[in-house]
This record gives sequence, C-alpha cells and structure tokens, in this order.
Amino acid sequence: MTLRKGERIALLGRNGAGKTTFLRISSTLLMPTSGTLEVFGRDVMAHPEQVRPLVAVVPQEGKPFYHLTPREQIYAYLRARGIDRETAKARVAESLEQMGLEGVADRLSITLSGGQKQRVMVATVIATKAPLLFLDEPTIGMDPFARRAVWETMRRLTDQGSTILLTTHYLDEAEALSQRLYVIDGGRVLVEGTADAIKQQVGGTLKVSVANGEALKEQLSAFGEIVSDGGTVHLITHPEQINEIMATAMRAGLTATVGPVTLEEAFLKIVGRSIDEEAG
Amino acid sequence: MRKRGDNTDLEVRWAGMWSFMATETRVQIHEWLAVVTGLLVQAALLVFVWVWAPALLSFALIGALSYSAFLVGQRVLNEAAYIRVDHKLNELYHASPMSPESYFVGMSLGILLAYLPPMLILLALLEFLHPLNALAALTLLLTLLAVWAFSSSMGYCVSTVFKDMRTIWPYSSLLTNLFGILPPVFYPLRYFQASLRPIALLVPTSSSVALIEKAAGMAALSPNEVFLGAGSLAVEALVFIVFGIYVARRTAREG
Repeated sequence: MTLRKGERIALLGRNGAGKTTFLRISSTLLMPTSGTLEVFGRDVMAHPEQVRPLVAVVPQEGKPFYHLTPREQIYAYLRARGIDRETAKARVAESLEQMGLEGVADRLSITLSGGQKQRVMVATVIATKAPLLFLDEPTIGMDPFARRAVWETMRRLTDQGSTILLTTHYLDEAEALSQRLYVIDGGRVLVEGTADAIKQQVGGTLKVSVANGEALKEQLSAFGEIVSDGGTVHLITHPEQINEIMATAMRAGLTATVGPVTLEEAFLKIVGRSIDEEAG
Repeated sequence: MRKRGDNTDLEVRWAGMWSFMATETRVQIHEWLAVVTGLLVQAALLVFVWVWAPALLSFALIGALSYSAFLVGQRVLNEAAYIRVDHKLNELYHASPMSPESYFVGMSLGILLAYLPPMLILLALLEFLHPLNALAALTLLLTLLAVWAFSSSMGYCVSTVFKDMRTIWPYSSLLTNLFGILPPVFYPLRYFQASLRPIALLVPTSSSVALIEKAAGMAALSPNEVFLGAGSLAVEALVFIVFGIYVARRTAREG
C-alpha cells in the first residue's frame, strides 16, 4: 500500500476488517506483528519519534476535554505540539471557522452536541497542518452540512500538500472525498482503485430494479447476476442491455427502474465474495 | 543549521509538557468541587483528632499534607484512565511530537498544581499551630515531592492496565486506604507496634510524616530509622518515576 503526497485515501471494510488497526500502526500507536511501514521515508517501527511530528490523528470515538472550550482545546493541543503562540492563535481561528464552530467556540465542550464534539476533534487535528492526517471515522454523528464542511476542509488541506488517510462507513463520503480507495477484510487488501474502477468490478455499471419481478428471475438472469430483495429483483448490467431488460419487464406488466451502480453495491459484492471464500 | 535529534527536537518534546500541564490544571480546576472535596477525608480526620486528642493536631496536620500529596497520584490514576478509556485523547497526544514521558509528567504536575491550594491551607494551619524550622520546612518540601512522585508514577502505571473505569475505582480506593489511612500517617509513629515500625518507614506516606516530625522536633527517630525512612523514600520515588517514564513510553504504543 503506497500513499502519495497530497492524496486523499479511504480505507473501507466491515467492522473488524483492520481499518483502525492499520491507522493505529501507521500513526505509531500500535506495534505491528509483521511487515514494514514507512512514513515519508521514516521507519514507523524503528523510529516512531521521527514519525510523530509528521502525523496527527482523529481517534475513533475520541472526545474533546469536556471542561475546555473548543478554542482552548485546539490551542492547548497546538501548543503541546510545540507550535508558537501567535501561529497557534491564528490556526485556532481558522480551524474553528472551517468547521463552523465559531458560534460555540467559547462554550465548554460538555455542553456541545455529539456532532459538534466530533467537529472539535476534527478541528483540533486539521489545525496542526501535519503532513499526514489519519482520520478514523471523522464525520460520525455529524449532520450533512457539517460533513460537507469536513470534506471541503480535507480537499483544501490536500490541495496545500497534506495527505489524508481516512476510514469511514459512509460510502457516499468515501466516493465524494477520496481519490483512491482500499477495500480491506481480515487485514488484507481486497481491491484498490478509484471509486469508478471499484464499481466496475461488480459486473456492470447500471443497476435495474424490477418490482415484483420474482417470476422473471430466470429470464433476467440471462442479462447478469440477480439479487432478490423482498419482492424486488435487482440486476447489475451494462448500458447496451438496458433496452432489452426494460422490454422484458414491460411485456410482463412490471415496473423497472434504472440507476448507476453505487459504491455500496460494489463494496457488498467484493466483501461478500471475500466472506464466501473464507467460509468455503 | 540544526539537525534532527539536536536541542530543537528536545525542546519540542519537553515544551509540550508545560502546555499539557497547564491544560490539566485548567481541566482540574474547572471541577472546583472535586478540588475542595479532596480535603474532605483530611478535614474529617482532623476534626476527630481535634475533639479526641487536640495535642496531636499538629501530627495529624502533617499526616493530612502527606495524604494530600499521595491523593494527587490517585487523581493521576483516574485522570489518565479517564482520558484514555473515555476520551481517547491519549492517542491525540501520543501521535504528536510531544513525548510520552512529557505527557505523563505534564499530567502529574498539572494535577499537583490544581490540588496545591488545599495543601497550602493545611500548611498554613500547621504553621499556625506548630511553626516549622528551616530544616523541617525543607524536609516537608522534599518528602512531599517524593510522595507525589511515587504516587503519581504508581497511579499512572496502574491506569494503563485497565480498560474500564468501573474496574479502576476500587483499586484507587484500595491504594488510598493502604497508603494513606492504615499506616501511621494521621497518628504518630510511636503509637505503631514497635516491631512494625521499620515497615511503616518503608511506606512513603508514613516515612515522610515521620521524617517531617523528626525534623520539626515533634518525634524521636533513631539514626537508623532516619536512614531507613529517608533512603527508602528517595529510592521508591526515584524507582517509581523511572518506571513511570518507562511505562509511559511503552504504553504510548501498544504491543
């Protein structure tokens, strides 16, 4: 696995796949049992003290100090990292603004909502402007506006040269934000590539859903792999086959809808395949 | 031009300690009621002594000071566990230029600073009842620092073992009673079983109290007892702080 400077990479996987473990190893918080890992050419295992100034981490389910305000928390953390007072103050203001926290900047964190607390954690870490940022489920509990503010900030940071590795269970977020994705399971990389490239792996680019289409399953299976969900039959296929599928559905008096294959479908298929192999 | 590994790095690694110390003090002081109630046990015992044996009040005040210094370590235990288990803030700090040892020392100093005002009140009372000479004042300062170093290091090490706050509370209570109430801390060493006196002098809290009382001319200790008390206290404080730094470094990265 290689991350290039200025990239935004997402690690996807089901619970226990090894996403957080990888992030913790990369950020010097966990010792690996085997393998090698370098951050900007520095050996993470042998010289963690050389890596630590280059990284910053939003821990999974991390919470700010309840009895500090967001402003105090970010400032205190920057100072602990050795950043001078003036720079720290400027970065606190910038980071609060980017995360939309100006209105609550001087309220104790204990009084903030769950999503706001999470924004404080993200604001604390992005204010470091560390060259490599690890964000473990950074937008969990955030409303759609806040999530987009985080995405925008991440894009800006990578434009400025930072590299971001994040884990998320929001596949729309992974698709909107990451330039490359890694799908992992059981500590192994299953696939790697852009969201589009990963979606190609499910055997088509379009998904047709035929309501009450159980009776047509045999006919439709000629166009691709079928998945039943209640009474609805879903079919992953290619654009050139759409007309024929629609005609088949119409002849049977059924309604069919067409949409693009989502990353979630690709994810379920790829990880499902891995689970089957494991079981088999 | 400075290179990696020179003073700049060292300054950054330890500069974080002062900042983290200030953060911890700020966080602790915000819970001002906890700071005030940190004096409750001492105050209750002082009232008992005042009622039943007023002549021993100065002894009990010295004990209260030693107990308070020990209590700082129990706050370290709870705080280190709380911000690791509940907040995961240790990960934020460990994945940063700040060294794990400065995280541990910064936290211990920060909590000491926050709990200093109640100790100063006890000290003022002691000064009022039994003014300390220079040697006693110096002994008090050094031995209380040793108790704090021992207790904070022990608290930090114990905090790294547990994954649940509920499991930690009984241990904190057990340690406080073992080191603060049972040995001759609030009562003079002479009331302790003679054959057990050497053991009492091996316990940091009771040896600090015995040494202060000896320096203040309040109690008699043989030269051997002074040697045993002072030696064990210094060794225990040093060993535990070195062990605390080792544990801080080791647990900054889980194996």
